[in-house]
Amino acid sequence: MTATQSLLVVLFAPLLSAVVIAFFCRQRHGLAAAISVSASAAIFIFSLLAVAAAGSDTVHVTTDWLSFGDFEINKGFFFDSVSKTMLLMVTFVGFLIHVFSLGYMAKDPARGRYFGGLSIFMFSMLGIVLADNLIMIFVFWELVGFSSYMLIGHYFNTKKAAAAAKKAFIVNRIGDLGFVVGIAYAYWHFGTTDLEVMGQIVGADSSMVNLTIAALLMCGFIGKSAQFPLHVWLPDAMAGPTPVSALIHAATMVAAGGYFLIRIVYLFPDGLLTFIAWLGVFGAIYAGFCAFARRDIKQILAYSTLSQLGYISAAFGLGYPGVALFHLVTHAFFKALLFLAAGSVIHGCHHEQDIFKMGGLLKKMPITGITFFIGILALCGVYGLSGFYSKDAILIAGGFENVPIAIFLTFGALLTAGYMGRLFWVAFLGQPNSEAASHAKESPLTMVVPLIVLAVLSIIGGWIGFWPEQLGGSIKADLDLLHYTDGYDAMHNRIVIFGTAAWVIGLLGAFLFYGKGAKRDRLEKIAAPVYGFLESRLWFDEVYNYYVAKIQQRFALFLSFLDVFVIKGIFVRGSAGLVGLVGTCSRSLHDGNLHSYVYWFLAGLILLWVAASGLL
Amino acid sequence: MTVGLNAFILLAGLLFAIGLLGVILRKNTLVIYMSLELMLNAVNLALVAFSRYNGTMDGNLFVFFIITVAAAEVALGLAIIVALFRLRQTVMVDELTSLSR
Amino acid sequence: MIDLLFYVFAAITLISALLMVVSPNAVNGAICMIISFISTAALFVLLEAYFLAVIQVLVYAGAVMVLFLFIIMLMDVDKDTSRLIKDKLTLAASIAGFSLIVILMCAAFASGEHLPETALLPVLENPTGEGIGIPYTTSAKSFGYSLFTKYMLPFQVTGFLLLAAMIGVIVVSKKHVENS
Repeated sequence: MTATQSLLVVLFAPLLSAVVIAFFCRQRHGLAAAISVSASAAIFIFSLLAVAAAGSDTVHVTTDWLSFGDFEINKGFFFDSVSKTMLLMVTFVGFLIHVFSLGYMAKDPARGRYFGGLSIFMFSMLGIVLADNLIMIFVFWELVGFSSYMLIGHYFNTKKAAAAAKKAFIVNRIGDLGFVVGIAYAYWHFGTTDLEVMGQIVGADSSMVNLTIAALLMCGFIGKSAQFPLHVWLPDAMAGPTPVSALIHAATMVAAGGYFLIRIVYLFPDGLLTFIAWLGVFGAIYAGFCAFARRDIKQILAYSTLSQLGYISAAFGLGYPGVALFHLVTHAFFKALLFLAAGSVIHGCHHEQDIFKMGGLLKKMPITGITFFIGILALCGVYGLSGFYSKDAILIAGGFENVPIAIFLTFGALLTAGYMGRLFWVAFLGQPNSEAASHAKESPLTMVVPLIVLAVLSIIGGWIGFWPEQLGGSIKADLDLLHYTDGYDAMHNRIVIFGTAAWVIGLLGAFLFYGKGAKRDRLEKIAAPVYGFLESRLWFDEVYNYYVAKIQQRFALFLSFLDVFVIKGIFVRGSAGLVGLVGTCSRSLHDGNLHSYVYWFLAGLILLWVAASGLL
Repeated sequence: MTVGLNAFILLAGLLFAIGLLGVILRKNTLVIYMSLELMLNAVNLALVAFSRYNGTMDGNLFVFFIITVAAAEVALGLAIIVALFRLRQTVMVDELTSLSR
Repeated sequence: MIDLLFYVFAAITLISALLMVVSPNAVNGAICMIISFISTAALFVLLEAYFLAVIQVLVYAGAVMVLFLFIIMLMDVDKDTSRLIKDKLTLAASIAGFSLIVILMCAAFASGEHLPETALLPVLENPTGEGIGIPYTTSAKSFGYSLFTKYMLPFQVTGFLLLAAMIGVIVVSKKHVENS
């Protein structure tokens, strides 16, 4: 079984699963679930086979898809070490989340549709991971957007979910506008959109790097990975089911933007990289502050995702795409773990999501609580866990390249520890604060086992030395680059000390400030204006709402008026009416009276005579 | 004969105009048809006059053919009028208006 | 003397044509038409086209108009007693038509000089018609000669035309028998 064949199975098995579910199993929920989960298991096995078959080589196969004269669109797989790493991560985390969904969505009346949506999402995401040219990436990019819309809007009867799905899709679309223009410009500039060929062109002639193309392609990343200013959709997307939030909005789809950037890193000039880094830093700090004013457990985790995405873009912007990929992978592990554990909590507390109404969950749901705590430690970068290695690398890179960024990111680590600590102490310790929390019990096995697996991965996932040699090639390369810089040891020690200080102060500070199992947010109690300011999230949503409702809507109404009156009324109906008028006039000549025909004949004769005699 | 070509042509023209008046003014299909024959006759006269005053025979031969074709045409046209009369029981043009609209 | 004959026959032609157009009784109109044709034949004689004059009387006045008379009497239409010119449109059209033709004729031929007639050549043995066209003779022989040499094709085509007309007449005027 060659790598290409395995990849074909990997790509099309979820599509087949989605099609079968869509056509036959929408009411047969059990069957749909079984098909979807077995498809995701198959994908994982075949991706292992593909990685094994490809070895350390890069596999690049391309076939024609469409060609119009000179213009060609190809389709193909580009399977290098970056995509191998990403593929295994996506398929493994996807499989675990599929298994978790079996338990979490067991009582949902629309399970069939949900599992169909999961399958089509896996297809789209794997398409982005494996694609070899920009146009194919764009096609799957849009498919991922659609899958996200379908899954966020799973509970479409509620207004909140329907609105959130629309918002996610539309905001993504805004970014995709720049993306599409960038692809067209890139095709025109390079003559091709193939990733490997563009890399070779730029490698041979570095003056081919174009700031506009890179900036336009970056717009897609900003939309998909929820960077400022298009970050507004991610918190609202928590209206979907929790496994969806875990899969799409923590581990894979939002990471797709970062993955895309890593694929096209050679297109970026230095100024734009610095811009991306500062954008990431801003996102990290902003999201960190906002998380302090959130009460919903999923919202806190959503802002945590925003913050970590900022870390990933900062790593990319500092010039170390391998480190960004490393953080992307470890983030997938512990963020998926955190979201799934939150799902377990929500499931156990009968869909209570306010942390101040929980409390004492560690005693009632021990496995969930312990795995959640492991996830928090990984997120905060405790020494030895996976998050430590990737965050450490980012901070060291910042220390070498751009010290202010490193300082801000360390402060961000402090904030991270602060709000995650707040979440854990309030929700898991102390006494139950509500009926629902007091009746909580541990979740069934299908939900707990993925948690345990992810917890183990969160612990060992950062030990890059143990990774097989086919994976993580670019990660190891960047880490080696850092290792062999001058002054590495001193910088490393400094960062370890500051980083450890950050999370220790954060966790302890949160414990002392908020207390265990608190009923009310203490910040809200003692400093309501500060809390209010944090809760406002800098009024982005309000500004966008005003713009859409007042300015854009008026413009749209004006265009609609033009459309109805000018185009439909005058041009379309008018031209039809004109033709009808001519027809009616001509028809009126046919009155059946022989003599009128003679008169018309005579008139024509006079006209001819006048024309012939030169008077006309 | 001192009557020149102009007189013959003027006569032919007047005959033609009278035929045209008949087509425009009369309502009986058969009378209209006879007026058409009158117009043809006028043309014949003109042709023969031209032929005589040019000294060639070709005009006469053309009139020969016109008379032949006119005879055939009259036969056929009258057959059609008879068929129409059988269907509609009228030959008045203002009652034969079923092609309107 | 001959000029007087011309004016007389011209007057008869015109007057009978006018009578045909205005007469309410169709049969009367047909008879006037016959008179008009006969005087046209006389005009042909004045132009020394004797053969054509005979053909005109035989075919046109004799066959065509008789056929017309048969059909008119078959139709048995009533006298047409309505006014000829009943609305303004008809008036305008008739004035326009009439004046159009007359003006055309005057404009074309009112140059003042009349064309003199050329003298007739003696009857040639074999009129060939090279160069100037077939010379004008009064004998039927030149008709026959031209028809079978210069105008052979129109002659044959006219034969076909007569055949087609004959078949057409039979088909059109057949009574359709219903299959019961």
